[in-house]
Amino acid sequence: MSVLLQQLVNGIVQGSLIALIALGYTMVYGIIQLINFAHGEVFMVASYGGLATFTLLPDDLKKSPAVALPLMFVGGIVVAVVVAVIMERFAYRPLRNAPRLAPLITALGVSVFLQEAVRVWYPNATSNLPYPKVFPEGNLSLGTISVPWTGVLLVVLSVGLSILLQTYINRSRMGRAMRATAQDPDTAKLMGVNPDRVIVLTFVFGAVLAGVAGVMFGGYLSNINIDMGFQNGIFAFTAAVLGGVGSIRGAVIGAFIIGLIKTLAGQYMPGGTQYDYVWIFIVLILVLVFRPQGLFGEPERVRA
Amino acid sequence: MSTVDTTSGKRSALAPFAKPLAAVGGVLAIVAALLPWVTFTLNDGNWPDKSTLQFFDAPFAVTGFRWHLLLLGVLILVAAFAPIPSRGRVVRALGWGVAVVSFINGAYITAKGGGLGAITALDGATAFGSVAGLVAGVLTILAGYGYGITPVGEWKFKPPTPVAYLVLLVSFAGVLLAVAAMLTTGGVGTSNPYAGAIFLSFLGFAGGVLGALSGVGFIRWLSVLSEEHRVFSVIVLAACALLLPFTDAGNEYWMTVAANIGIYAATAIGLNIVVGLAGLLDLGYVAFMGIGALVAANFSGAAAANFGIELPFPVAAVIAAVVAGIFGAIVGSPTLRVRGDYLAIVTLAFGEIFTRSAQNDIGGMTNGSNAIPGIPALSLFGKEFNRELSIGAVKLPAGVLYYILIVLLVAATMAVFANLKFSRIGRAWIAIREDEDAARAMGIRTGQAKILAFLIGATLAGLAGAVFAHKNATVSYESFKFLESITLLAAVILGGMGSIPGAVLGASLLFVLPEKLRDFEEFRLMIFGLALILIMRFRPQGLIPDRHRRAELADEDVGGAPVDEVHAASKEAKA
Amino acid sequence: MTTPVLEARDVSMVFGGLKALKGVTLTLEEGKIVGLIGPNGAGKTTFFNCLTGLYTPTTGQVLLKGNTLPGDPAKVTDAGVARTFQNIRLFPSMTVLENVLVGRHVRMKQGPLASLFHGPAYHRGEKAARERSRELLEFVGLRGPDDELSRNLPYGDQRRLEIARALATDPAVLLLDEPTAGMNPQETEATQQLIFRIRETGVSVVVIEHDIKFIFGLCDSVSVLVQGELLVEGSPEVVRADPRVVEAYLGKPPEEVELDIEAAKGEQA
Repeated sequence: MSVLLQQLVNGIVQGSLIALIALGYTMVYGIIQLINFAHGEVFMVASYGGLATFTLLPDDLKKSPAVALPLMFVGGIVVAVVVAVIMERFAYRPLRNAPRLAPLITALGVSVFLQEAVRVWYPNATSNLPYPKVFPEGNLSLGTISVPWTGVLLVVLSVGLSILLQTYINRSRMGRAMRATAQDPDTAKLMGVNPDRVIVLTFVFGAVLAGVAGVMFGGYLSNINIDMGFQNGIFAFTAAVLGGVGSIRGAVIGAFIIGLIKTLAGQYMPGGTQYDYVWIFIVLILVLVFRPQGLFGEPERVRA
Repeated sequence: MSTVDTTSGKRSALAPFAKPLAAVGGVLAIVAALLPWVTFTLNDGNWPDKSTLQFFDAPFAVTGFRWHLLLLGVLILVAAFAPIPSRGRVVRALGWGVAVVSFINGAYITAKGGGLGAITALDGATAFGSVAGLVAGVLTILAGYGYGITPVGEWKFKPPTPVAYLVLLVSFAGVLLAVAAMLTTGGVGTSNPYAGAIFLSFLGFAGGVLGALSGVGFIRWLSVLSEEHRVFSVIVLAACALLLPFTDAGNEYWMTVAANIGIYAATAIGLNIVVGLAGLLDLGYVAFMGIGALVAANFSGAAAANFGIELPFPVAAVIAAVVAGIFGAIVGSPTLRVRGDYLAIVTLAFGEIFTRSAQNDIGGMTNGSNAIPGIPALSLFGKEFNRELSIGAVKLPAGVLYYILIVLLVAATMAVFANLKFSRIGRAWIAIREDEDAARAMGIRTGQAKILAFLIGATLAGLAGAVFAHKNATVSYESFKFLESITLLAAVILGGMGSIPGAVLGASLLFVLPEKLRDFEEFRLMIFGLALILIMRFRPQGLIPDRHRRAELADEDVGGAPVDEVHAASKEAKA
Repeated sequence: MTTPVLEARDVSMVFGGLKALKGVTLTLEEGKIVGLIGPNGAGKTTFFNCLTGLYTPTTGQVLLKGNTLPGDPAKVTDAGVARTFQNIRLFPSMTVLENVLVGRHVRMKQGPLASLFHGPAYHRGEKAARERSRELLEFVGLRGPDDELSRNLPYGDQRRLEIARALATDPAVLLLDEPTAGMNPQETEATQQLIFRIRETGVSVVVIEHDIKFIFGLCDSVSVLVQGELLVEGSPEVVRADPRVVEAYLGKPPEEVELDIEAAKGEQA
């Protein structure tokens, strides 16, 4: 029983991480129907950005987590945002009216490029890099279960930022412009919405969340490597699809489900953790085949 | 809805200067070819082909890249004054050729010579070849835009069969020579310190000429011709390929490289059925090659194989192909319900499931990360395929038998692809790709057709995988990961979707380049990713676009209705 | 009385809460041309989609020569109902001839193996299909080179090619969705003649059109659909004289404006 509870909690923590990334997928898809395959790499780059920020800090600041940690978040987020904006401007925007295959292949190219750029240019990136210990240490113990404080922070950040994002999109002027563009770009344009600005902003929001996720990933798992983007990107994409692409709430719930599947399958399914990925991919396929609109999406009307 | 036509109606401000620009560019390119390029002898020896001052010891011995430049310069002058269709495109392509050749050589000399002094003036010596070449290139490109980028010339001329055969024969022989030159130019990676530069420079030249031929409409005409006489074309191409061992490339090293290219080319042609004809993006395709390879490995009698039985290769290959085909049908079955991007993700998921399972030695079939080593080489009449071959006085390098087998495999795959493309099922695939709803309204059972595409594609990949297993003697899941799928996809796209020569060319480029560019080995994948982005941006239809496919990904050469109007119309129809 | 070639019995279609069709009945006798008119949003296209198997009617049924039509467009075409689209849906990057050959798909016997190996049977079948396709191109009046890509054709020729492609499926019934949208008077006249010639070959035709003059000059019988209901059915004379039709459809001057918009839309598509 306590194993089950522990795995449930672990699943929720992992789900929180996936949720932060999944939001980026779901928002971009909602606005321009692009599977931004490179979003996972934005998350990875952000993680290295946070690490680089720490490395560049003067020694006395390194010793004070209260200063170093926020700066690392800022560093990670800035790197993620810069990469995302460049990517949108130079890789995706020229293809906005191209057939759908083209941007998807471009996204694959961006993904390979980012991963390799980090591998080649970041010092020692070929092996696992330890993440600095500036995060709250120790565990929160509740009876037999224990959660690292980094995990708690991750859940809090993830849920908090999702609510913030949801509120922003529902309440603000810009959020309204985003929803309008998602539903009908042409009409939104006629109503004076600048689609370029909306799209860039969508990428920026996604990148900010991926930045937070990247730094927290380092804190939670204590080391990072260049494969983290691809793996977690796929998880996050699965989560977004599971929740119904385009829906913020769906992406978050989908992410928790994926987190739980991963930890529970690793514990209870044959093959253990070696096959936990496989179960997630199977879920992905089943959802796409049998409920492509996602668990919480509206079914699309038959069109002729 | 209305579309603004951006291609016509706007005359370039350069238009009045086009001819003088082209003339100056052409002359300057010729001058650049005759100028010295390096101010001193580099540490690694003379820059290729006497391009240091020593040229003047042997005047007019213009070889290598300078010969290419000279040729390009003459072609520019011809293009500027001869009456040819789509002059702008031709001149622009030639200009790019000049610019790339000059830039590559200049950049390498600068890097190897330790500064710009090497390509300008140093210690009283001057060498402005690369500067002049670069200026010539830029002027010519500008001239191209000045002429205006008009639609590619369309040749209505239909030659009688014997003439067509002759044209095809000469063209394919040219292709053979070009391939042999491409392989051998600059030598093998480590033996020549300048190999990378020589090769890239050659590519720049070849690209410029190819672009010009394509712009003038020759390539399109040739591809229509070769489709009309496709049996003849395949035979001649195969014959040309079989002659490769007799050229300069006939050594063990290049036989091995060429055989590997062939395996991937065959796989890429299979993928081309799925992506190019049926329009279904498959991001996990290499898994089928892996399945084929694993099946063949397990029946090969290798020590690590799972079945103690050793089947003759043809039997094992057929089983491999069938098993891969069955998996193909399974992976393809979601197409009954899933379309577009989502289907791509489903195939990616299947690919990842394969990789994970193989990595964890599922069912004890794959040996996980230990791989299945020691797969015996194929043999025929007691002759092992990885040995040298001598017939009478003719000695052929080791690996030539594999090469021949693989050429036959590629030829067979090409024939399958071509036959299918011009058949009832091929037309159904293309119809589905163009407009699935309309295809259904024509009575096409779209679900069946799409699964069939996956099945046939996977079968071909399985077959290629079986050969791969024996050729490389080891099968590891590492060879069949996501990145390989993307590389294959890139080969198809780079070459041109739906086009057969394109798939072969794409596979060749993607697998030869790493061999040639050892200097850049570290950056290989990064360049690869960047290349994907750039191709999609600037030449989405690929190097040798299929006649049908031209409009699908690119809208630059449109005769009638602008393509985005067509797209918009179909979009509107769906809404 | 003979069995009608196509019969829609009491067809209703409901989308969520919206009743798009309310018990529409339509009978097409062999060798006749039936016109379907009605204001925008009357449910004409929805009805067409029910006839072609794209939608399965919520209630009611569609019969072809007395047999219920299968609920799958591909099978419906196989059974003998072919259609064209309101916005032309050719295969833009295929040649003119290939477009028609795709129409021959259901009538060709060529299986995957024949496609793969190109034996003598393949060549015979392919030759026959090509000949038939060329005949049809000739029949609809497309005499240009048949290796032109279809997207390069002028607008009117694209419409004609779509009809040739539909005829290539050897249909018993041909459904034409606004075949003259965006055409000038000469082209409209030519289309009318073409439809008459199609009828002469024994194919029965259902036409949706906005151009009422065209419909009245063309059809043996006209059905008027208003708000998902069949308002009137009968010969052009009867329909033309019916006061309800005049009121619901013809009488209102704004309709004329709408027609122009429709025509303009068609032209651009």
